Amino acid sequence: MTLKKMVLFLASAAVSFQAFAAGDPESTLREAMQEAVTVANASAGGRALADKLQPLLERRVCFESMTRRAIGPGWREFSPAQQAEATRLFTKLIIRSYSNKFTPGEEPEVKYLKGSSQGPDKIEIPTSMLYKGSRYSIVYRMENRGKWLITDILVEGVSLIANYRAQFNELFKRGGVNAVMDSLKKSVADT
Amino acid sequence: MTDKRLEFGVGLFVLLGLAAVVYLTVKLGTGSFVAADTYPLEARFANTGGLNKGSTVMLGGVTVGRVEGIRLDPADFSAIVDMSIMREVQLPADTMASIKTSGLIGDKFVALAPGAEESFLKPSERIVMTESAVELESLISKMAFGSVKEDEETSSGEAPSAAAANSEP
Repeated sequence: MTLKKMVLFLASAAVSFQAFAAGDPESTLREAMQEAVTVANASAGGRALADKLQPLLERRVCFESMTRRAIGPGWREFSPAQQAEATRLFTKLIIRSYSNKFTPGEEPEVKYLKGSSQGPDKIEIPTSMLYKGSRYSIVYRMENRGKWLITDILVEGVSLIANYRAQFNELFKRGGVNAVMDSLKKSVADT
Repeated sequence: MTDKRLEFGVGLFVLLGLAAVVYLTVKLGTGSFVAADTYPLEARFANTGGLNKGSTVMLGGVTVGRVEGIRLDPADFSAIVDMSIMREVQLPADTMASIKTSGLIGDKFVALAPGAEESFLKPSERIVMTESAVELESLISKMAFGSVKEDEETSSGEAPSAAAANSEP
């Protein structure tokens, strides 16, 4: 075995080990969902639920990249402190507007469809969820960052990031960083 | 003598007319005489509903390219849209592509929304952060995720957002 081959072999072994360590995206998603439902059913809903869900979701969802992508081109003009603050607020906003949709005691019935890989460390997992009598099509986009993290969610084909990006971009063009931060603060306070 | 001149004039007129027809055909067919300075990009959609070859690609309402072709990916039955984008438009790697409709029942087009990434999409790279064609997309998205608040001074009599409607009493 030449040195070059050896290096290649080691590199590929390292890569496959990393993929192994990261686990399987679908079971990661199932676990996350199960945890969230368990926590939700044990709480009274509303803000208390959001606060309980936050540490759990922070392990499963990459809020940092979600915020960066949602804010879009304006992100580069945020100072590191503002970026951290925006991430904190956006995380709260997402979790709160999400947990508001939860009714404790209602068990969602989720059907996982076959995921389609979008490159070595990206995958899209479509699911079909029956909740309180309505059926929703929800697609989870996940990325492998050492472990599989949720990076975007599409409800009925509409992307969470695209929805916020359109709004933040407009705000940013009108009022710069401050307009985005103000609207984030307002939205979190009102949600 | 005058006959010859007349015939020459008529011939010239006909030739000019033909040239105009050719020019119009090429222009209306959204083709171009010389290949413009563009680079190819791909985008993957679950559904392209009504997008055509030649449809425009817009960024912030400005045309920056066009759709060169649409094909099916047999692996997962998604649609791959081939686009050509103007060379001077460098797109961040986390750019999103959505299929939108101009007006209520107008033509479909691809709308690009640039992201925050420092690196740029390379030619022939594929955009996987996409949104497929839905008519009521903006409505649904507001219902599903809530919308961000604006300052009272700047908001122009918008309907109360989903976020407010959802807040617990």
